[in-house]
Amino acid sequence: MDPKGDIFYIGQVLEGKISAFSYLVDKHKDKAYNLAFRICGNREEAEEIAQDAFLKAYRSLKDFKRKSSFATWLYRIVYNTAISLVRTRKNRVLSVEEFPVDAVDFLSFSSSEEEAADDYRNSLINFALQKISEEERGLITLYYYNELDIEEISKITGISRSNIKVRLFRARQKMAAIIRKVEMKNVFYHE
Amino acid sequence: MNKQEMNDEDLLRKFLNPERIEKAPEGFISKTLTRIQIETQSAKVNKGFFVKNMVPIISATITAGLIIAAIIIPAGETGSVGSTIWKYIQDLEFTLPVINNNYLREFSLPGWVPYIIIGIFLLGFFDRALFGIFHKEKTPKSP
Repeated sequence: MDPKGDIFYIGQVLEGKISAFSYLVDKHKDKAYNLAFRICGNREEAEEIAQDAFLKAYRSLKDFKRKSSFATWLYRIVYNTAISLVRTRKNRVLSVEEFPVDAVDFLSFSSSEEEAADDYRNSLINFALQKISEEERGLITLYYYNELDIEEISKITGISRSNIKVRLFRARQKMAAIIRKVEMKNVFYHE
Repeated sequence: MNKQEMNDEDLLRKFLNPERIEKAPEGFISKTLTRIQIETQSAKVNKGFFVKNMVPIISATITAGLIIAAIIIPAGETGSVGSTIWKYIQDLEFTLPVINNNYLREFSLPGWVPYIIIGIFLLGFFDRALFGIFHKEKTPKSP
């Protein structure tokens, strides 16, 4: 990791060195893209959202108050952009029956058994994520993937801390129920 | 946290691997920086309000001028504005050098030519004005 950190590169960009922004893009691209992808569930749209977020961040860099970290500020842009995009399009709701029961067999084409199991878990998580609301998807991603605390999630989403706890609890409950249901179905299929 | 909540949490932790994040596709950095560079260049080209909207402004001014002229000039006295201007120019003769324009009288153009030229100018202005109105760039809101 670069010891100079985000603030140094932000200063460079504000002095007119656009190339310094590449450091910020490189450092935060994966988590920004992941957040967008988990919320919208589409790779092309996620790329567009993440790029838009970086572009918006670049444009508004002079307004960045540095009260929070650059990452928190960027995730806030990604979160809002992704949520508004999902709300504008009518999202197709998947039923549990739509998760392929032979997913484990299909994914076992992966190089190792462990990798196949990891692929299966990942696709099941993606499936369960699509079954909850876009806001809950954002909260789950920020909490579990980006490993942020409630305080930071509150800054990103603009939702109060107590509300985040409640929504996370509900989202967790729903996802766990979906996972259990799919797992149960798979057990019957493979018996 | 009760037992059920703990079970849910454990199940999610088992399935959800923080290291298994979806990585940005290849070429993401270069694509993003290209977009930023295009944005920066187009921002430099951005002009002021009057320069950007010059054509609609001129067009609106001409239209307003024509409407005012139509209101001011009394019906049946179409030559009154022209003769007033000509009189004014003649008065300026004292301060401006006299231009010998006798040779212009030797030319004779068909009577409809001035109307065609004026028509082309007006259509050109309206075309540019409509283009300026309907092809404005959309700038996204900053966060």
